[in-house]
Amino acid sequence: MGKFTMTGALAAGIVAGSLAVSAPAFAKDIVLNMAGPDWGPTRFLQEHFNNTYKAKSGNNVKLVFDFIPWGSFYDRVAASLTSGEKKYQMIISDSQWIGTFIEGGHFMKLNKYIDADPELQAIMKDIHPAMIQNYSTYPHKSDNYYGFPQFPDTKVTWFRNDLFCHDGERAAFQAKFKEALPCSYDEWKSADWGTWENVGKFFRRNKGEKLGDGVAANDFYGIAYQAGKVADFSSMQVLPFIWQHGGDIWDESNQPNAQAEGVVNSAEAVKGFQHYLDLLKYAPPVHKTGQMGIFAIQELFMQGKVAAIIDWAGVAPPALDPKVSKYHDKTGFAMTPGLRKADGSISRLDNIGGQPFVLTTWNSEEVTKEALEVVKWWMSPEVQIEFSKNGGEPGLMSVMNMPEYNDFLPWNRAHAELLQHQKDVWHTPEMFEMLTQQQEEFDKAITGQKTAKEAMDSIAKFQQELLIEAGRIK
Amino acid sequence: MDKSVTETAEGLDGLSRPQPGPPVGLQQPIARGKTMQDFWKWMFSPSRRGPMLVAPALIMLFIMNIFPLMWSFGLSFFHYKASSIRPPSFAGLHYYEKVLTDPVVWERLQTTAQIVGMSVLLQLVIGFSLALMFAKKFPLRREILMLVLTPMMLSFVAVGVFFKLFYEPTFGLLSQAYMYFSGEQLTLLATQWGAVWGIVIADAWMWSPFVMLLVLAGLVSVPDYLYEAAEVDRASRWKRFTTVTFPYVKGLLLLALLFRTIETFKIFDVVYLITNGGPGTSTETVAVYVYRMAFQFFKTSQSSALSYILLFIVIVLTNLYLYFVKKRGEEG
Amino acid sequence: MSVLKMIFGGKKERRLREAGWGWSMVAGLAGLVYFFPVLWIIMTAFKSRADALATPPAFLFTPTLDNFVAVFYRVAQTGSGEALSTGMGMFFFNSIFVAASGVFLALIIGTLASYGFSRYPLKGNETYLFVILTTRMLPPIIVIIPIFLMFRMMGLSGSYIGVILLYAAFNLPFSIWMMKSFFDELSPDVEDAARMDGSSERGVFFRICIPQLKAGLAATSVFAVILTWNEFLFALLLTGTETRTVPVAMARTIGGELGVEWGLLAAIITLFLIPVFGVTYLLQNHLLRGVTFGTIKK
Repeated sequence: MGKFTMTGALAAGIVAGSLAVSAPAFAKDIVLNMAGPDWGPTRFLQEHFNNTYKAKSGNNVKLVFDFIPWGSFYDRVAASLTSGEKKYQMIISDSQWIGTFIEGGHFMKLNKYIDADPELQAIMKDIHPAMIQNYSTYPHKSDNYYGFPQFPDTKVTWFRNDLFCHDGERAAFQAKFKEALPCSYDEWKSADWGTWENVGKFFRRNKGEKLGDGVAANDFYGIAYQAGKVADFSSMQVLPFIWQHGGDIWDESNQPNAQAEGVVNSAEAVKGFQHYLDLLKYAPPVHKTGQMGIFAIQELFMQGKVAAIIDWAGVAPPALDPKVSKYHDKTGFAMTPGLRKADGSISRLDNIGGQPFVLTTWNSEEVTKEALEVVKWWMSPEVQIEFSKNGGEPGLMSVMNMPEYNDFLPWNRAHAELLQHQKDVWHTPEMFEMLTQQQEEFDKAITGQKTAKEAMDSIAKFQQELLIEAGRIK
Repeated sequence: MDKSVTETAEGLDGLSRPQPGPPVGLQQPIARGKTMQDFWKWMFSPSRRGPMLVAPALIMLFIMNIFPLMWSFGLSFFHYKASSIRPPSFAGLHYYEKVLTDPVVWERLQTTAQIVGMSVLLQLVIGFSLALMFAKKFPLRREILMLVLTPMMLSFVAVGVFFKLFYEPTFGLLSQAYMYFSGEQLTLLATQWGAVWGIVIADAWMWSPFVMLLVLAGLVSVPDYLYEAAEVDRASRWKRFTTVTFPYVKGLLLLALLFRTIETFKIFDVVYLITNGGPGTSTETVAVYVYRMAFQFFKTSQSSALSYILLFIVIVLTNLYLYFVKKRGEEG
Repeated sequence: MSVLKMIFGGKKERRLREAGWGWSMVAGLAGLVYFFPVLWIIMTAFKSRADALATPPAFLFTPTLDNFVAVFYRVAQTGSGEALSTGMGMFFFNSIFVAASGVFLALIIGTLASYGFSRYPLKGNETYLFVILTTRMLPPIIVIIPIFLMFRMMGLSGSYIGVILLYAAFNLPFSIWMMKSFFDELSPDVEDAARMDGSSERGVFFRICIPQLKAGLAATSVFAVILTWNEFLFALLLTGTETRTVPVAMARTIGGELGVEWGLLAAIITLFLIPVFGVTYLLQNHLLRGVTFGTIKK
């Protein structure tokens, strides 16, 4: 029994101690606990805050960031929220999760604060509509606002400018395909999936064959994009194809009339998915394993195995790092290709990435006010510009419209121009189950176990049943 | 060598196997005037001693393990989603029915059984062979033994991440070796069989040293006189093995089988990191499926029901094992 | 035939057959096969990223200590270039403290309990023991939320004591089963003799039983240390920023801007391997003997 009294006393001591720390001793000490993934953009947030933030109200505001490893980020946040821990005042969320946690009562609706604060209104007006729509509104496209962009993200093309701008290669490409090998920003802007496919054929070199100024040290491939079962990797590239071909996903903003069956597996959707699959054969063999996600293609590019990839701007900074990328000084960025439509224009519909940050529902008025002050600080042009210079992306259009913006990072110009084409997957709580099943089906088609049509039919059936059961389809 | 123990041991000459039970001859005068000692003696008097000794462990286990287990067991009978704030409503056996009639669940169980069967078999066979090898004294034995034990000491994350790299078609060592001979990259994880083997090899690599250790302990303790007797009979190596060695280590092998089966049934990290259940769902084990159900779909009640069905299966298997051990004990 | 006699009987101990260097080569080959992936990880810790991913694989390379520096220091994101501490030193301390405390606690409670189960069996002993074993059978993901809730209610979230108690509870089933079979092997006659001589119960326990169980304690410790050292899921969810252990910090190298920071991860793994390798090496002798002791049933 002696053991237990000691343990009990120790436990009581810990409880007392933690109560003393978490509750503000005086009204002037406010601690904002924020949960976020552990990477550059969030580290910047913490450091810059510590260096420069002064609360206008005179209170002593501390931002305590809980840096959670990316791979386990969701698990930690989900556990914290669903267990009623109420630890965090602000959370960096993924845009797709907001439905689950809003309906769960964890994320706070901000409308009343925005309506009362002209500064917040100005900020909201300055945020790109694609970001508002996808990061902030729930139900989708409604007028309920929940979040602000912490790190907006789109996919851009990364390419080896030493190869694409090489005179010899360009001449050969022109001769073979009767179009220019994209090198400049505008050449890439007028590239469509046909160009992309030609690049894939053109840059497929075996070990020892001529490549650029030298010779291929290993087998070399032309193109790669996401084809991974993990998380949302495949979906993030398949859905753009579906949208560009005229297909669609289940439309959550049109509940309960919007159907999944017939929409998800429409002829256009199947065609789009098939187009995606057809281009995979030009990618390195790893695509056959269904493990060619964000980081696989990034690594392939940085170690010089592929000429061009389509990947998130958010993971582009390492490509410029000499310690990480062998081709850091030979990398260029451009807009992603799209589908050439009958009228000659290019459809670039794509799936937005990035994370918003939200406030939680269990804070006192005072804490919420201080949290919103931090939001205003973060969304101010000065801070957003600093953020951009250090590898981030601003959420403010005014910053993106500044002439210097394009010079901060080599992909900024493409990123800013691509924002207008961004759509998103569903945000409702069923999202996880739908995404997991969709990823599994896409993976089966990618690894050759099913045809595109079989996969899409299976997805449509699953979603229809699931959404009817959830009451989202009549 | 501990001197005092040697002296004690010599006093034990000719003992038969001890039976557990309370010691005899406990009539000691209780010291007066020392109330603390009185208290301890009262606490630990023979009638109370058993319960007192096991109480701390049972209480700790109850609080830390059994209470949460029962909490989630109870939940499996209610409609409850962890992500919502709605209070739970009674569901009876609804979720158990749902789980048992779900063909996906049976698929996952099949996949798991396949992986568990292959990995545990490999661990037993390789572990046993390694133990035979280490049952001799040779130079550098201790150092080489440490080398073989290192896989167990790595974390699952380390093994998962690096084995994924080893299997990677472009950068991985396995594919590079394959390329040296065939010129093509090896996409091991592109097929179900490749992916299953990839997982099984990683798991067996990590845990066959555990089996080796258990079996080696047995081999090391087979008494000389039994071997001497076999030599006198001029028995062949094989006969010596089957009549002397193997019966001695059979018990240990079964113990290794028990522990490794229970643990491998729960296999998660290695699968999640190397294949993520792919290609398609061909390596999605039941533990990964439970994780998705509980943490991603927030089907809390359903995942609890599934887990308890799993528990039931493992309990049945364990009971079978213990039954066989008892039988062997009676024969031996 | 008493196992005790075999182990401690000196001359009566089984003499293993001797073998020569030829056998060492065969064993060495097996050792190399097992150790090779670990060796590759250790080598990666000394490689630059390009070398780590080189095709064909780089067996020869110029080693660098950058990764080991990066384990402890990180460059500031704000571009000022200053080196900030990653806190890894603290995480290492946390891992050592939590593992040592958890294992120690489990050994004390577990040994006492197994002594009780062995010497003073209760009604339903078998049931208790089986139920104890069942606590290891479920995937931990199922109990994580109720434990999380429980910790919150008891105020143990993010504290040392909470995780230590949890890890002790994790190690109890194995400790109890192992130590009970060791106790079962001991003869109570020695204890009775000591009692006749006037020794107290405590004396009997500590001066007669425990010395004979050093081997069993060593064996249980090593397996418990390995289990606790590398535990990830509960550490991820139940430790706070100050009490985080290395496996959680290790996960920092995965995901983010790079898929895996190969060199950094390899460096952390290498450093993290050293303590547990050391403990196992020190207890190697006892380990072999100890496992014998516990599981032979004659």
